[in-house]
Amino acid sequence: MKAAGKSFQRACIKPMAPRASQYGIAPELVTKRLADYPQMTSLLVKELFPDSPAVIYPSEAGLAAVRKAAEEALNRVDMSMIKPGQSVNVCASHHGFTLLGGEPYAELLRAVRDVIAARTGTQNIRLRAGVGLRFRETEEYIKRYKLDEHYKGKARGVAPIDEGVAIPTEIGTLYGIKAIYDADWIVHVHNSDVREVHFHRQVDRAVKPFGMSYARIETRSTYHWNMGPRGANFTARAIFDSEFVRNKFAFTAFLNMSPSGVVGASADNNLYALNDRITVEGCQYYGKIMTLLGEIDECIVGLDFPCPVPYVFAAGVIYANFVGANQDLFDLDQPLPPYTWYTEAFYGKDGKPLIDGVAPINPAIKLAVHNYAWVGYPSAFFSEHVPTVVVGQKQAELFNNDPQNLQYMKYAVVADDLDSAMHFASAAAKTDKVIIFDGAMGGINISESLAELLVRRAPAVAAKVDKELMPKWLKQRGVKAGAAAAAD
Amino acid sequence: MKLISLIPLVDLDACNGCVICSNVCPTLAISLVDKKAHVKEADCRGCGACDQRCPVYAISMQKLEKPYTVGVAVDDLPYEKISALCVRANLNPEQIICYCTATRAEEVAAAILKGATSPEDLSRETGIRTGCKVECIQPALRLLQAAGVTPERPEGWQWYGLTPAVWNMPEEIKAKHNKSGFYFEEDIELFKKVVEAKSERRDS
Repeated sequence: MKAAGKSFQRACIKPMAPRASQYGIAPELVTKRLADYPQMTSLLVKELFPDSPAVIYPSEAGLAAVRKAAEEALNRVDMSMIKPGQSVNVCASHHGFTLLGGEPYAELLRAVRDVIAARTGTQNIRLRAGVGLRFRETEEYIKRYKLDEHYKGKARGVAPIDEGVAIPTEIGTLYGIKAIYDADWIVHVHNSDVREVHFHRQVDRAVKPFGMSYARIETRSTYHWNMGPRGANFTARAIFDSEFVRNKFAFTAFLNMSPSGVVGASADNNLYALNDRITVEGCQYYGKIMTLLGEIDECIVGLDFPCPVPYVFAAGVIYANFVGANQDLFDLDQPLPPYTWYTEAFYGKDGKPLIDGVAPINPAIKLAVHNYAWVGYPSAFFSEHVPTVVVGQKQAELFNNDPQNLQYMKYAVVADDLDSAMHFASAAAKTDKVIIFDGAMGGINISESLAELLVRRAPAVAAKVDKELMPKWLKQRGVKAGAAAAAD
Repeated sequence: MKLISLIPLVDLDACNGCVICSNVCPTLAISLVDKKAHVKEADCRGCGACDQRCPVYAISMQKLEKPYTVGVAVDDLPYEKISALCVRANLNPEQIICYCTATRAEEVAAAILKGATSPEDLSRETGIRTGCKVECIQPALRLLQAAGVTPERPEGWQWYGLTPAVWNMPEEIKAKHNKSGFYFEEDIELFKKVVEAKSERRDS
């Protein structure tokens, strides 16, 4: 197949390998990947959008490029407030370890420790890695990336049900995880991947972990129940702005992401300055690919990545974004994305929204083939609204035994193997367009028919984002377009 | 409503009696007996919080031989009472308040009207807070507060308290931040629409 002289018959990008984890089936049970099918091909994000930023990872330089960028960024921040012998908590989040195999984020965390030790003389540097709803997830990453060794035995995962600490804020008392704040100083180490734009709406993206992975259940529940779909991330700002946190905050370090890979590293003593920059970059880098995916008219989705259902990746975009791609998720004039927890809560017993104007789950998704994805996130909404075929009885059992997913298999069917699932999917969905969420680095694995559509539509989408959407998105957020360039 | 299909098994040789499992148990089903964790099976809702936080990996979740369902009926109460309680908590009675169990506000309100006085009671009776263990504490506390109930906080880390909501935010704070992409007033209006939305049961 060809479009505009381009051939789409090429090898798929290697999907992210299955990971041994208590939240997924054993890797040896994943015997075939969607990318193995001959009718699948691949596209690089750079081919779709030639103005995509240059990446430092993946690259020939490998992790050394990440290390170099991290050290250069860290050397520009003030660490003079940290005195020899003082304690420092390097605060991390699980999401970073799901990006490009996890090593780039792990390398940033190693660099942060090394530079703090070298510049301040303190050795009392602890890694505190927060989680989402899989309470041992960062424990697994700490072992996988040997971070406990690097942090001299001072690395631990923390969870939102661990002992809390009250944090007085300008809107009232919120609660953090005590172990995050039990040091003289905290250093906030995160990434700029847009990821859950349906939750944070790209407003204070850089601040979010203060209301989420560093926060107790009361605070996280505030985010998802008390503040509204466009006010939710204010929870994080309220905590970060508190005297309690400001008195401990030393600086922040970020892995700068794009859908193609790591574009650099940033560090700053001013989190809001960094936040403004990544707000612009996030809209710019991810806005185009998300808008393009919204152009897909019909498709089968393949879930094939070591993460819970909503977090599997394609071209740097998570499935939870794609189920809402029929709406502009960056547009704050839209109150409710097709999927967010507020939306999910607002469906009545008859399976319809309680109020008018709620967009359905992306109708382009005709069927999902769940070849490999984890438990540990309430995902029944997806199988309830998208016909879903789960590959393998073992995987079905895993979901049936997960307290967060007791309803997932109520709506899904099971196929013995991937071939059977794909045979059924093709017949039932009546489309040859397939998009695979398998974490392919730098691009996307898709069917040839879908590759042709994306290549054809990309130029118009790029022009629309540049000329029409970007100015609107930034104005809605009170951020100037030059924020990214000015600071870097 | 929740299907209870798992139960923790404590390896008594490995258990060091640290009581972290007891501190995180949302139904207060775990106590220390002879310096070892002891699970009161009748109170356990199989959430796995103990298994997930045990520092010495002494707890594992096992399948129950006879799974059973917990839930509170709403049909034997006047629906207007259920509805009124939900509205006072800024909730629509039909909306889901626990994503893991798909439990709706009406069921939790019914549990309170029938005598539940704490988040622990609500978890044991409806199964909420025993899926992800994280997200639904505020609607539970809001419903209890709306019923005039001030629950006594357990000794552990189960929950600390009610938190602020957008509809209670001071005007000057909203004004200070609403140019940064936070649509407070619009979201308050959205909540109002949802709370007031009619449903089949309310209409009848």
